[in-house]
Amino acid sequence: MTPRVLDPGALPLPGAAHGEIDAAAVRLKRRSMAVLRRSLHIRTVDTGSCGACESEIRLLSSPYYDFHRLGLFFTPTPRHADCLLVTGPGCRAMDHALLSAYEAMPAPKVVVAVGACPLGGVFGADRYTRGEITDVVPVDVVVPGCPPSPLALIHGLLLALDRIEERITLQEGEQ
Amino acid sequence: MNEGESGLTLAQLARNGTSSQPMVVNLHMSVAGAGDLVAKLAPIARFADMFVRPAEQGLERVLVFADAQSGGYLRLICPLDKSFPVPLSRVLPAAYQEECELYELWGVEPGGGKPVNRVILPPSAETAEPLRLPGGDRLSSEVRAPHVVQGEAIEFPWGPIRGAGQESLYLGLVTTGEELLDAYLAMFHKHRGLEHRMVGQTLARALFLAERCEGLGAVGNALAFARAAEAALGIAVEPAAEVTRCLALELERIYNHIGSLAALGAATGLSVGQAEAEILLEDCLRLNARVFGHRYIFNLLEVGGVRRGADLAALDSALDRLEARFESLVADLLATNSYVDRLEGAGTIAAEAAHRLGLVGPVARAAGVATDLRRTHQVSSTSYVGFRPAREQPGDCLARMRVGAAEVRESLRLVRHWVRSGTPLQDDWATPGPGQDHVGGPAEGLGWAETCRGEALVHLEVAGGRVSFARLRPAATRNWRAFDDALRARNVFTDVPIVEASFWLTVAGFAR
Repeated sequence: MTPRVLDPGALPLPGAAHGEIDAAAVRLKRRSMAVLRRSLHIRTVDTGSCGACESEIRLLSSPYYDFHRLGLFFTPTPRHADCLLVTGPGCRAMDHALLSAYEAMPAPKVVVAVGACPLGGVFGADRYTRGEITDVVPVDVVVPGCPPSPLALIHGLLLALDRIEERITLQEGEQ
Repeated sequence: MNEGESGLTLAQLARNGTSSQPMVVNLHMSVAGAGDLVAKLAPIARFADMFVRPAEQGLERVLVFADAQSGGYLRLICPLDKSFPVPLSRVLPAAYQEECELYELWGVEPGGGKPVNRVILPPSAETAEPLRLPGGDRLSSEVRAPHVVQGEAIEFPWGPIRGAGQESLYLGLVTTGEELLDAYLAMFHKHRGLEHRMVGQTLARALFLAERCEGLGAVGNALAFARAAEAALGIAVEPAAEVTRCLALELERIYNHIGSLAALGAATGLSVGQAEAEILLEDCLRLNARVFGHRYIFNLLEVGGVRRGADLAALDSALDRLEARFESLVADLLATNSYVDRLEGAGTIAAEAAHRLGLVGPVARAAGVATDLRRTHQVSSTSYVGFRPAREQPGDCLARMRVGAAEVRESLRLVRHWVRSGTPLQDDWATPGPGQDHVGGPAEGLGWAETCRGEALVHLEVAGGRVSFARLRPAATRNWRAFDDALRARNVFTDVPIVEASFWLTVAGFAR
């Protein structure tokens, strides 16, 4: 594979404002993910979901959605995974398992948070749950919804791969 | 009326008790009296739940028994002591899970010195602190019952992260390579402390949490919660809203049994069958969205009624086609020998075990135990007219698959009857029910519903319109109790996913 030359504009410039550095980091990450564009292997982790997100995730490989046609596959081991699909509000008892799975994945890797729970939309941070999973692993793409439909999940995965354009971002003015 | 060896009948007991709501009898007793009575009750009533609750003076232990004959529940209430006078796990093996929970949460020793597992917090979770008896010692991080794996066998650790789209749980499979000798489960990685979260919340917020207890049983668990709140507050539900709730409950049952078929297809490697079931499952979810506005029917129930009505025209037009395709799928599956062979004799639960472990729902019915709240514990006299509970033998995966198929047929029949016979149904957005801003003195209620996995129970105490105590007992709590038994029954390694698919339980419901 020919190494991709990074656009100098994607690198943080000396003296750039914090927001610019963040934006540059996002662009850099996206470029590194581009090497995975045509094929992505996904490991799922449930950190305390109600099970509805899992049901929608299982349907990704069903005939209606058939995400294999897009080069997307589930894998039973984090060693073969490029993408960690995380559901649930980050139950503290799952911290160790979630971090271990993330660290076992080879780089470049991407984390997609699925549903309202990992965004802090259902439970807050307390002694049972973290409320948001960003305290444990860095999140690259969020797919909101309770639960998000399989189509929304596919959209999120393609976004993670930079195969479709991001129209709306959480941070205003980033695009 | 059933009679135990002691000649004791539940009707006699009911006369001595007090009643805070119809169909529920409370018996307040001393610890010694409760110990005596539990041994006599075990053969004549089904153990349903045990929990500890705060009372005016200290803490109370509550044991809940279901009585199929009278269609009610019996609550045995006694002060909480450091231990129970009789070894519960001997007279009431079904209560072992609850004994472990009480030990961990309240430091209560199980009678008879039986070793307990640490169930709620897995060993790695040092950050969260369980509730403790005032002055009680903090538990060490490792209090699992010691178990020995020896000889040629190894314990194969599987979890808590498992396959794609599977919920987190730890399964320790003891095997010599092919045959499964034993299995150990750790289920509370997903514990979200829902019951503790509910305390101090409004009923609407607590109902939201009850719904999230188990996403694939949202209607059933929310219904049990709403009924508990309505019993506590003395709210009567309009007949149209009641039937609409039952309609949602049956739609939930239909998509769950079809989901189980899809999982069975995946577990047996029958890709075509899996794909067919997944197409049907997706169609059911889309139908849910058309009829009630949500693929998993979230946000439909509220205390006092339902938020919105069903789109009856959409439902009516889809029923015949759904049924025809379902029948064709089941006929094809049962005609596929390689599929039937994998299910037959796998994960068998005997009728005796189903009784002993207090199993509920399709798992019990597949073992020949015809327990179904839709027949025995009817809340409304009009909803389930002519209902026929499914029943199969001999409790293996094939029997559970057949029970699922029979229940889909019966649910479709009920839905068709409600939609086409002119039964009054909520058909528009409802005005907020009377439970929304109800403020009153302390009250308690027990709610139940026959969810797609079996009996769900909710015990709720409210004061001033807010929850002061809640106990959720989804069906999954009862039926996971039999999962390791089913695995031990002469199975091989690759039977595990098949048994799990046929049980079709959720970890979320167990871990709450």
